[in-house]
Amino acid sequence: MLAEFINPYYLQIGCFVLINIILALSVFVPLSTGQLSLASAGFMGLGAYTSALLTIHFELPIIVGVIAGTLIAGLFGILIGVPTLRLQGVYLAIVTLGFGEVIRVVFVNWESLTKGSVGISGIPHIGREILKTFKEFGFNPQSLGLQNNQFIFLSIFFLLLVITVFLVWFFRRQSRSRVGRAYAAINLDEKAAESMGINITYYKVLAFTQGALLAGFAGSLYAHVLAYISPADFSYHRAVDILVFTIFGGSEVIWGPIFGAIFLTFLPEVLRFISEYRYMIYGLMIIILMAVRPQGLIDVTIINWIKSKVSKRGVKHGSRSEKSM
Amino acid sequence: MLIEQLINGLTLGSIYAIVALGFTLVFGVLGIINMAHGEIFMFGAFIGVMITSIFDAPLWVAFAAAILVTAILGYFLENFALRPLRSKQGVSHLAPLISTIGVSIFLENLSHHMFGAGNRPFEAPFAEINFQIGSITVYLVQIVIFVISILLMVALSFWLGKTKAGKALRATAENLETASLLGVDTKRIITMTVIIASAMGGIAGILVGMAFNSVNPQMGLSMGLKGLAIIILGGMGNVRGAMAGGLILGLAETFVVVYGDSGYKDAIAFLAIIVILLIRPQGLFGKKITT
Repeated sequence: MLAEFINPYYLQIGCFVLINIILALSVFVPLSTGQLSLASAGFMGLGAYTSALLTIHFELPIIVGVIAGTLIAGLFGILIGVPTLRLQGVYLAIVTLGFGEVIRVVFVNWESLTKGSVGISGIPHIGREILKTFKEFGFNPQSLGLQNNQFIFLSIFFLLLVITVFLVWFFRRQSRSRVGRAYAAINLDEKAAESMGINITYYKVLAFTQGALLAGFAGSLYAHVLAYISPADFSYHRAVDILVFTIFGGSEVIWGPIFGAIFLTFLPEVLRFISEYRYMIYGLMIIILMAVRPQGLIDVTIINWIKSKVSKRGVKHGSRSEKSM
Repeated sequence: MLIEQLINGLTLGSIYAIVALGFTLVFGVLGIINMAHGEIFMFGAFIGVMITSIFDAPLWVAFAAAILVTAILGYFLENFALRPLRSKQGVSHLAPLISTIGVSIFLENLSHHMFGAGNRPFEAPFAEINFQIGSITVYLVQIVIFVISILLMVALSFWLGKTKAGKALRATAENLETASLLGVDTKRIITMTVIIASAMGGIAGILVGMAFNSVNPQMGLSMGLKGLAIIILGGMGNVRGAMAGGLILGLAETFVVVYGDSGYKDAIAFLAIIVILLIRPQGLFGKKITT
């Protein structure tokens, strides 16, 4: 009964939506200090390859691989973030784009390690590992009326959902903390922020590194969800996709990139019936949206509008209860 | 051997320079990176293939058709993707970047649809003609490419430096509002710039088709990325820098293929700009920016 509703295909798309949300955040965080980074695809590749190679060759548990992948990406984030501090706007965008390309070219050419453009297959799969662990404890998905396959994707989906919700909560919390206010100040006016005693170097590198960590984390999850990676997964197209999630949804508030990632991951799937034209429509939509709403779909005004709607309802309830009293 | 490689490098470099000039003109006047330039370039190349292979027309017709089509694409780009953003207040500098990315996605997939996803051979009528000078072999195609590129660069330099329209363009690039106050029709100048830049992309497309004998929808992307690297190498918005940067990159790539590992050829452009930005952020030929 439950089984009929759980289609592995939809769950797979759901997993990609969640990974894409993390990726969109990896652009959003540096952008909230005014740094436009297109290196997310490169950091994602670093995380994915590190985790995949470690778990395959040293048979480490997936969680160790994911942590290592995340940290390696973060390390490169610091290495790239420090020297590129003085670059602004489009310069930083092109250099980070270039970094991503260099990473991809290295993946293609370092064949002894990465198997070149063929890619790495047979990466340990998170869902199957979870299933194995559960079975060791004597649990059988059939007892819930689920196929093994359904259980695998369902478990990944919920794992990713928990992780994503935690990350969104964390960065929402951060944006209201000392760090987040420093980011906002730097974004508005770097010189003014500096004269108010904000350590610009520290916060800009921190934001850039947070982006790299997020992208590396998403990349290593991606490797263990798909079980196959190749350099083409981390190319220019990926970098642009991630950027478009954030800009399309709106880069002012955290809900923007989240909405962008959800909407734009579903869109090509929904448009599958006109598959030949769907990327043309995708391109056209971006052009039209930028012409009509260059700040992205979700901005502060919309959030405030939603908030006022919600709180109005609350007030109504309040007044009604007063009347009744 | 060395001289042959030098000629190969210069041929490739002169095409790179033409592509980079398209980027540099638009950046100089509008201050934006035109991410769709690579795809417009690729369209030019495909138009060349269609004209020469299907209609069996001579090469100059292919050039004329490619210039015409890419100029129209440039006009559309300016009218539908760039102008709507300029008329609005408080638009972030990212919006035009994203908008041109949208155009590039659209054009790339349109070309898949129109021309197919695979490689198309480009048949230049004189592909096999070559000269022996001592032990060196020089192909006529290489000379034609080099001469066309140099002519184009000289013409552009002359046009920018000496003609009234060129001066108006430079004034607009210097400061849009001041130019407008001084009676320059900046709207027309901007449209003209985008059209000229796109047409140069179209010409470069045919030149690449002639040089490599094949054309595919992905070439726009790799050439576009290299063009971006070149304008940073030479200094943003700097015409002479774009020319020199293109030649330097062409030579560097050729020599890496000969003396190093050909697999890393595509990474050179980006390694170079990472180094350049760390040592000399304004680019090789850029002026120091003082604020």
